[in-house]
Amino acid sequence: MRFGIFFEMSTPRPFSSATDHLVYHNSLEQARLADELGFDWVWCVEHHFLEEYSHSSAPEVVLAAVAAQTRRIRVGHGAVVCVPEMNHPIRVAERAAVLDIISEGRLEFGTARSSTWTELGGFGVDPDDTKKTWDEFVRVLPRMWADEPFAYQGRCFSMPERNVLPKPVQKPHPPMWVTVTSPGTELDAAARGLGCLGVAATTYAEQERRTKEYHRRIRSCDPVGAMVNDQVTTLNFLYCHEDPGVAARTGMGLVGLFGLNNAHLLWTREAYPTRAYQSLGNLAPGGGSDRSSPGDPRGIPEGIGVGDPDRIVGVIQRWADIGVTGINFLINASEVIPQAEVLASLRLFASEVMPKFPDKVPPHAAVDPPC
Amino acid sequence: MLSGTASLDALAARAPVMPSLEPEPAVFEDTEVLQAAFEMSYASRGAGLPPGLHPTTPPLMVVLVWRVPGGQWGPFTLCQARISCRSGVRPRGFVAACVTDSEQAATALSSGWGFPCRVGSVRLERAYDCVSLDAGPALGLTGLDPDPLHPGDVQYTVTTTLAHTPRGLRLVQVEPEYDLRRVERVRPRMDHFAPDRWAAPGLDPRHPVTATIGVGTLSIPRLRYVSRPEVPAFEGTEAV
Repeated sequence: MRFGIFFEMSTPRPFSSATDHLVYHNSLEQARLADELGFDWVWCVEHHFLEEYSHSSAPEVVLAAVAAQTRRIRVGHGAVVCVPEMNHPIRVAERAAVLDIISEGRLEFGTARSSTWTELGGFGVDPDDTKKTWDEFVRVLPRMWADEPFAYQGRCFSMPERNVLPKPVQKPHPPMWVTVTSPGTELDAAARGLGCLGVAATTYAEQERRTKEYHRRIRSCDPVGAMVNDQVTTLNFLYCHEDPGVAARTGMGLVGLFGLNNAHLLWTREAYPTRAYQSLGNLAPGGGSDRSSPGDPRGIPEGIGVGDPDRIVGVIQRWADIGVTGINFLINASEVIPQAEVLASLRLFASEVMPKFPDKVPPHAAVDPPC
Repeated sequence: MLSGTASLDALAARAPVMPSLEPEPAVFEDTEVLQAAFEMSYASRGAGLPPGLHPTTPPLMVVLVWRVPGGQWGPFTLCQARISCRSGVRPRGFVAACVTDSEQAATALSSGWGFPCRVGSVRLERAYDCVSLDAGPALGLTGLDPDPLHPGDVQYTVTTTLAHTPRGLRLVQVEPEYDLRRVERVRPRMDHFAPDRWAAPGLDPRHPVTATIGVGTLSIPRLRYVSRPEVPAFEGTEAV
């Protein structure tokens, strides 16, 4: 089992330069501590225009700072929105390669296509096209990182022969992932030999079903890159405290606020009916029917990493038993937990929980490049 | 988190009276349903919503039309101007104003479910390659280039109205059900919109997003929840 921390850069109102500064620099301090404590990953999302929920519009800059301030932890570019209106694929390949160089080969490369109308509409993206462009991106990026020169005639972009520079440090290229929100995306990941970067809260039973399907399908995958990444991670919350009551109060405050911020996003499907977005893409815990009582918060899902160390060990063991190979933790939202308490929670987790889960995940399997 | 900033007194002055919270459910076959979404200006965020609801970003106005060929209230066409919002964590469409061409439907929808209906001209017409909505000087809208879509791909957000109920002024959760057999997506064009004609704050449609036109069965069931409009849903929700 591997562990990561996951930055959304959620920011409380009223917005100000000082508030954004606080959120970003607290996150950098958390990344430095996570590095010292032995966490495996620090992930930073890409979002645009999502007031309060996520001010993380330039994750590659954040991760460059993380890379410069840490020594061991891997930097997760997770995930790059693979639509050309937001990120031209050449620029994506270039930025990722530089980040791999700056981090001394510690890049994990996540891919996504965005879930909100707020973002897609802001960039003038047709939601019908995002799955297609994502598929095109994940197939050409490994070639851009390897081929000298590279040329391409495609649907969302084309280019004559050029040498896309620099090339990544990791060979054949950094591990690639797909964010998985909607049911079924895990199969898209598996079919392409990509890691499953879960970003939606699920139940144990649902995750077990998805993980089994993923592992069944990836055995016969046609990898888009020169390696298969068969890791399955989930997203969770973390607040660890010796006193279970304190842990529950503080941790559930984090879960509740994050869920509230998340529920207030304008999901693509709500504004723009399309078969390309089959679910609301909701990352908030619990889901629940739109027809439910508005007075009910979304339910607290099972398997949440909130509690004293013993409880969290039990929760993680359950995730491990169903085949999850890594858990990424949201450790704060809108600064609802004071920074000192966030850091204390990380320290306690590292000293009391992490040693119970020695890393047994094999290195990524290199394969022959696809034809 | 943002909340509605409309004056509750002003909204209450326009809210209909519901003598009870137990309307008889209504079912209408072969109903045409037009739904068109327009982004509004950030300046209008929350301006049309009571404090108990939360605006989306960007703020979204949805024009929702039902053309009912017949049934217990006779034929009618209803045009709602809705503001997308959240009640607690649930997505909702707050009915800022609506117009219908049937006195009987206006009475039933106002007294039964709290729709702030006024009676006026509203016509929905379907041609081979477009659909047009004419609500007089208040609103004119065209939907172009129909493209078939699976009915399951369309989301109809649960409705919230504001009404004077036996429990006092309440947000009323109305949960119409749509069993559509055909849906097409169309490209919306707002031909004209006169905010003053709607007499509702916060309606400021600017940027067209998309629209759908469908046909099928519309059901308006019993009420299950109301909530106090001055406080968030977590504090103010009551079961019916």
